[in-house]
Amino acid sequence: MRGDWPGTGRFNSALPIPPRMEERVVPGAVDQDRFDRSRRVGWIDLDAVFRSRVLVIGAGALGNEVAKCLALSGFRRITVVDMDHVVGSNLNRCLFFSGEDARAGSSKAESVARGVERLSPDTRARAIVGRIEQLPVQFYEGFDVVLGCLDNISARVHANSHAYLARRPYIDGGMEGLTGKVMVCLPPDGPCIQCGMNKSHAKVAGMRFSCTGEGVVFHEPRLAAEITTTSIVSAVMVRECLKVVSGRTDMVLRNTFYYDGQRNVSEELEVPLDPRCPNHPSDVLQVSENHITSGSVQ
Amino acid sequence: MVALTFRLKVKNAETGATVEMELDEDNTVDEMIESAATFWNKDMGAYVLRKGKKVLRGGSTLKDSGVMAEDVLELIPDPEGG
Repeated sequence: MRGDWPGTGRFNSALPIPPRMEERVVPGAVDQDRFDRSRRVGWIDLDAVFRSRVLVIGAGALGNEVAKCLALSGFRRITVVDMDHVVGSNLNRCLFFSGEDARAGSSKAESVARGVERLSPDTRARAIVGRIEQLPVQFYEGFDVVLGCLDNISARVHANSHAYLARRPYIDGGMEGLTGKVMVCLPPDGPCIQCGMNKSHAKVAGMRFSCTGEGVVFHEPRLAAEITTTSIVSAVMVRECLKVVSGRTDMVLRNTFYYDGQRNVSEELEVPLDPRCPNHPSDVLQVSENHITSGSVQ
Repeated sequence: MVALTFRLKVKNAETGATVEMELDEDNTVDEMIESAATFWNKDMGAYVLRKGKKVLRGGSTLKDSGVMAEDVLELIPDPEGG
C-alpha cells in the first residue's frame, strides 16, 4: 500500500487483540500464546503495544532489524518510509530483502512492509515510497512513536525536528562498522539529536552513506555497516519503544546509549540540552531550566 | 583581559593514541575537534568530544564547557549510518 496517510484507511479498523492469559484456563495454553514470553515481562503493556502506531523512517539495515523486532514484539500498526530500492550489497544485513528483490530493484519500504506482514500476520505494515523530507509535521502527529533508521545527518535532523515539533517521542539509531548509538528524544523538554551535533556534522550533512541513491552526494563511510552491530542498536531502539508505549518513561534511556563492539563496551553518554538548538524555543527552555533549577535547589 | 592558556590531552578512541594540545580558554570545542581530526588524518565524518560521560557542545568555549588544565578528553566517532 503506497502513499496514504495516518487517520485514513485500514489503520482505523479495530485490530484483533488476543485475550489476556489469565482469562484462559486451558492446560498448556501458554505454549499456544504467541506473546506469553512478553507477558512475563511485567512492565510491558501489550494492549498498548498492539494499539500503538509506529513510524519507521529508513528501510536499510537498521530499518529491517527494527521492523523485525517491532513485529515480533507485537506492534501491529507499522509504517515504513524509504525512497530507495534494493541492491545486492544489501543482502548480507537485511532480513526482509531477497535476491529477487535485488534483481527486480524492489522498493525497500515495500519489501520491508511485505516481510513484516509475513512474519506477523496480525500486523498491518504500510510502505511509503518517498523522501521523508516531503512529509509535513502533521504526518508525524498520526503516530505514537517515531524511529529513525537513517543513513545521513540531514534526514536525521529533519525527522528529529519534525517529531519534536509534533511532540512525538523520537528514537534515533546510528551505526558505523562496530560502533553504534541510540538516543531517545522526549519532547517538550528533553535534549534532541541536534543538541549533540557540531561543525563536523554540518560538514557531512546531506551526504549519504547509501550505495543506491541517485543524484546524491556521497562520502565514503569510515566503515561499512555490519549486521551484529545493527542487531544490537535495533534491539535497544525497540526496547526503548516498548518502554515509551507502555508508559514507563521512568525507565526510558535519558542519555545516549553508545556501543563500541571492537572494545566490547557499552555506556551511557550525556548529551545536554543546547539552549541554542532551534528545536527548543524559549518557552520550552524556560520549563527545562526551571526543572534544572528546582532540582539543584533540592 | 588575557585568556588563560592551558594544556590538556585528547585521546583518539579508535586507536588509543593521545595528543597534547595547548589551548586558550576561549577556544571552542569545534576547534578542538577539527584540530584533533586533522592531526590524526581522520576520515570525513561526524565526531564528538567527550569529557567523562558528557558530550561537549560544539559551539561552546572550553571555559564554558568546564574543561580544565590536564583534563583528558576523548574524540569519538558519531555513528551516522543506518
